[in-house]
Amino acid sequence: MDNLNDLKKVWLTADTSRLPDSNGIKQLIKKYRNTMLLKKTAVIIAALVLTGIMVSVVFNYHSTMVTTRIGEVCLIIAGVFLVVTNANFINRFYSYTDLNNKEFIEFLEQTRARQLRYYKKTQVAGLACASVGLLFYLYEGVCQDRLLIVISYALLVAYLLIMWLVVRPIAFRRQTKKLDATIKKLEELSKQF
Amino acid sequence: MMEFEEIYAQYSPQIFRVCMGYINDYEQARDLTQETFISVWKNLASFRNQSKISTWIFRIATNNCLRALERSKRLKTTELPFNLVIPQEESQEEKLTFLYNCIAELEETERIIISLVLEDLPQAEIAAIVGLSNINTRVKIHRMKEKLAIKFKQHGQFE
Repeated sequence: MDNLNDLKKVWLTADTSRLPDSNGIKQLIKKYRNTMLLKKTAVIIAALVLTGIMVSVVFNYHSTMVTTRIGEVCLIIAGVFLVVTNANFINRFYSYTDLNNKEFIEFLEQTRARQLRYYKKTQVAGLACASVGLLFYLYEGVCQDRLLIVISYALLVAYLLIMWLVVRPIAFRRQTKKLDATIKKLEELSKQF
Repeated sequence: MMEFEEIYAQYSPQIFRVCMGYINDYEQARDLTQETFISVWKNLASFRNQSKISTWIFRIATNNCLRALERSKRLKTTELPFNLVIPQEESQEEKLTFLYNCIAELEETERIIISLVLEDLPQAEIAAIVGLSNINTRVKIHRMKEKLAIKFKQHGQFE
């Protein structure tokens, strides 16, 4: 083996026979598309239905209490937030920008930094909106009965506390740790250009 | 405009070899090849011939390879014994494994560039795929050839 041409000869001996044929790849594409989009589409439809129900409640049920109005607005905002976030994902799935490796690494660095900001700020705002909405919206339904207020709010507050103090911090730590590591790797990679 | 089937038949072996050169793992290279053609299929209608179709496909493939670093799997880099002299009668498969292991010791961008060189792509096209200037690409290719030559000499592969 004495020159680049010999290396090329060796390189070309790689076994590519086990790659799927064009029909096989089409099947894989179909399966991939369905899996990727099904979950997000289901979330969007559910969020749209819930937001629609909440909007129809606003127009059909004329509440006398300001707490209910605040709750309705907060829950509608949270629903819209959920729709927009997931619709953005689907939009990204279908859009593609032709980038070279250098541009792509820069793009990934920006995207991951934006994702980190999303977990730290935007997601918190959405969750806060939904939590406040639930707390306010529930009041009118249970305010007639003191015991019902205590039980309902105890359950709701317990649920929200678990979500805010247990579930979210664990998910947040996992996501940010992964993103921080990725951003660091990308920074190292961009130094190679 | 080429049909998807035609593109797949023409480029999938090349893309697989480039992915294999980068990742040095058969299963992962096959997954990366499939992901590349999923992207090609999704975006073929919006491809506007602003670059050559081969440049576009190799960009997608190499970008996918670079993205693989986001997954935690480590790259296979087998440590090469220092004084190992590989006998002349070794099989093609062993030679190929040796080549992959040598490439695996290079930096990520170098692995991409050398894989594209071995696929016989012109230097200008490699520069357009990677995003480096032509001069920079030429210098990098020259350095990599030297690095590989040293490795092969150390292991008795060069005269």
